[in-house]
Amino acid sequence: MATESASPARKVVVHFRATGGAPILKQAKFKISGTDKFAKVIDFLCRHLGRETLFVYVNSAFSPNPDELVIDLYNNFGFDGKLVVNYACSMAWG
Amino acid sequence: MPIMEAQKYVWEGAIPLQIHLHESEVTTFPPPPPALILAPRIGYLPLLIALIKPYFSSALPPGVDTLWFDYKGLPLKWYTPTGVLFDLLCAEPERPWNLTVHFRGYPANILIPCEGEDAVKWSFINSLKEAAYIINGNCKNIMNMSQSDQVELWCSVMNGNVEAYQRVSSKLKLGTVEDEYFVKPQQGTCETDTIGQVKTGRIPIRLYVCSVSEDFDDLEDVPKVDSWDKISFINRPVEIHKEEGKYLTLHDAIEALLPEYFSEKSLIESPSQEGEDKNNISPEDAGDSKAEEVVNVCNDLEASCTSNAEIKLIRIQGIEPKLKIPFSWVVNNLMNPDYFLHICLYVKVANLNTT
Repeated sequence: MATESASPARKVVVHFRATGGAPILKQAKFKISGTDKFAKVIDFLCRHLGRETLFVYVNSAFSPNPDELVIDLYNNFGFDGKLVVNYACSMAWG
Repeated sequence: MPIMEAQKYVWEGAIPLQIHLHESEVTTFPPPPPALILAPRIGYLPLLIALIKPYFSSALPPGVDTLWFDYKGLPLKWYTPTGVLFDLLCAEPERPWNLTVHFRGYPANILIPCEGEDAVKWSFINSLKEAAYIINGNCKNIMNMSQSDQVELWCSVMNGNVEAYQRVSSKLKLGTVEDEYFVKPQQGTCETDTIGQVKTGRIPIRLYVCSVSEDFDDLEDVPKVDSWDKISFINRPVEIHKEEGKYLTLHDAIEALLPEYFSEKSLIESPSQEGEDKNNISPEDAGDSKAEEVVNVCNDLEASCTSNAEIKLIRIQGIEPKLKIPFSWVVNNLMNPDYFLHICLYVKVANLNTT
């Protein structure tokens, strides 16, 4: 868990990890603005992988609300300076 | 744990809806009359389909149904509890609440797709998992829930059955905070042995902030929310440190949640940044700029002081709690079934452009 809250303006390193046979991205880490919503992360993944729908999770645990800010997710659930986002083509964690 | 009276009110809370079919989807004359439905506060709009569809199905054009709602043209987010939508979008509560229903033309650019009840259930369980992660640092208890418990939990939310909900949710070990309001003073002696903070609780919060620049005294004058861009969604936990003889108020919690609006730290930080910028001034002006700097700092301080935000309206579960009440009471009584405390806030922020 991030010890000190980072300000919303900073960029967050998002580390994408494929799960359950989903295609792997050539580049796994991206910098995303903290003020962006999680919906943008989902949208980014869908476009990169050419998929209409994806199941997107944080820390192999839960799927955040699309309105949540990337910075809030990083402050609440990030560690080692990054936010781990898992994606799957079918439901991975019910 | 006994079910508290306020919690019962929250679970029984409902909003009278008057639902109109959008005129573009009316194929009959006369058009179908609006549907009057009581929508549970803790429920979600798509779950009303079984009640709404029979009203309008005969009037609909041919095609596939994808249900969505709007309020004065703003498409409503289906994964936000109905009570939160009402508190947020109807500062002056409108009863019945006039909503428009659509079965065609889903606004996919604004709303994420919703495939019926399963999508709503999935969203609810994920919200619960996220809350558990905040409280316990993992969500194993939710993931390891038996299928039958998960079904029972979801049904309890859909049917507004607080007893069934309590039965299942107590197994999740998502301990709520101790209500300081009821702590007996004589217990103090043994608790002080552990020195200072006895227990830290992390409370999952979803905060919906609407910033307004103009003052209003009458709820009727609250500016209308016509775009979701006008709402800041803030998801930050509040930490409750238990300390002898002190309690965290709702006001303290709001201040902790919104340091960008209320923190005094920003008053100290902004002038020093200004100072750094001044270093760019060319050397020949340096003599005068020193004095100028001081003046600027003063102005900045004044500006930030006057820019201090003011809470104009706070709504949690349809009520406007006093800001002095213990935050733990708010959490224990007004929390949603997903273990998040949803807070709607109208904040007045003074215009900074005057300087």
